[in-house]
Amino acid sequence: MAFLEIKDLHAGIGEKEIIKGLNLTIEKGEVHAIMGPNGSGKSTLSNIIAGHPAYTVYGGSILFKGKDLLSLSPDERANSGVFLAFQYPTELPGVGTALFLKTALNAKRKFLGEKELDAVQFMKRLKTRATALGITDEMLKRPVNVGFSGGEKKKIETFQMAFLEPDFCILDEMDSGLDIDALKVVSDGINVMREPHRSFLMITHYQRLLNYIRPDVVHIMVDGRIVRSGDMSLALYLEEKGYEDYR
Amino acid sequence: MKITGNIGFIRKNNVLSPLDLTGGELSFSVDRDETIQIYCLHLIGSLNIKVQLQKEGARCSLNCVYLSHQKARNNLSFEVIHNERQTSSEQIVRGILLDQASMNFLGTIRIPPNSQKCVGTQNHRAVLLSDEASVSAIPELEIYADDVQCSHGSAVGPLDENALFYLQSRGIDKKQATQILLKAFLTDLMPNEIQTVIDEWMAEYV
Ligand SMILES: Nc1ncnc2c1ncn2[C@@H]1O[C@H](COP(=O)(O)OP(=O)(O)O)[C@@H](O)[C@H]1O
Ligand SMILES: [Mg+2]
Repeated sequence: MAFLEIKDLHAGIGEKEIIKGLNLTIEKGEVHAIMGPNGSGKSTLSNIIAGHPAYTVYGGSILFKGKDLLSLSPDERANSGVFLAFQYPTELPGVGTALFLKTALNAKRKFLGEKELDAVQFMKRLKTRATALGITDEMLKRPVNVGFSGGEKKKIETFQMAFLEPDFCILDEMDSGLDIDALKVVSDGINVMREPHRSFLMITHYQRLLNYIRPDVVHIMVDGRIVRSGDMSLALYLEEKGYEDYR
Repeated sequence: MKITGNIGFIRKNNVLSPLDLTGGELSFSVDRDETIQIYCLHLIGSLNIKVQLQKEGARCSLNCVYLSHQKARNNLSFEVIHNERQTSSEQIVRGILLDQASMNFLGTIRIPPNSQKCVGTQNHRAVLLSDEASVSAIPELEIYADDVQCSHGSAVGPLDENALFYLQSRGIDKKQATQILLKAFLTDLMPNEIQTVIDEWMAEYV
């Protein structure tokens, strides 16, 4: 049984089909990258895996650890191990970051039948992960994603991921808006999470990120489909030639 | 929870004291350089609050949270009259409606011709948690002086789908996510005495 198996997925918004028969299989412990031009449906795919209600699935299936993912609510998917680091994280005015993370962590522990963390255990876990990603106490006091720069938002997304310890991580354009220093911090944060039980799907426009986080498999997505899969050399080829061959 | 009536408080000279809202009609008059702040939690029926700003430097702030559910048809009216120059007023109204509840809000700011240099603002926002709930918010600005600053704004609609999804994508179920966003919507508006009743209402009905 594959870790994630997407078969002949057709989906879109209203009547507009965006994903047009997509197949993708990811095994446990693997890091996959999807590259593709703007508008090819990469963010749509990640939102559909996470369960965004704006999208409609017309056909096909997504199995995650053997479970029918499409029948689960977004929170059940998250608590089953799916995490999406958003391309554009939503701002939540009035919702404090620390309290938000505590609620999320305890929701997951409850779902898994584990005991909720008390305040001391929570703070310890929060501090350890925050320090590693350069997240300050002051940032944790702010409302979720409010008043953060583009780069800080990406750090916060990565931090949430490290904190919640999902086993399938989707990273949508993690490198956009990051300077080289921030990119290093974020990719170090992701690389330390690479473990045999955890898989990654990295969505990116540029090959740059893949120099920091080496994928096992690279896919090219054009117009709602995966048109070619290969290893890292495919990314290098794209960097040189662009997507012209695949349009 | 048993809803027995609307709850009100007034802050004057930095002292917070309860207001009796059982009659549904209250009026206040504010003197020179005096400030009053009124807070109310509107749960049932009609509530009319009228404030007359009588002398220069008089200020008032009217704050209301309304919560309605089932088939409630409620009415709220705020009326502020700037009887003297250099007086200022503020109206802040936040509502949450469920089921088939409806609310009519009428917010009046009246500034007669001689009351120059007044400031009057009104802001109304409501969240509808059901397609069948409805709100009508009517700002009535009767401004006859020309050198004044007045503004009003109103926004009514469902909770932001992306905000809900963001919380759910982190494992928080829809009910809890809704409560978190509603709490944020009302942040820092009401004194604790009223906030605890709001929390109780949300825990029971949302
Ligand atoms: N909310 C939406 N409403 C309408 N069209 C959308 C929406 N989101 C995405 N699309 C359309 O779907 C296509 C794919 O978009 P997207 O998934 O964001 O692509 P990518 O992430 O690969 O750049 C684009 O043509 C885009 O305009
Ligand atoms: Mg995108």
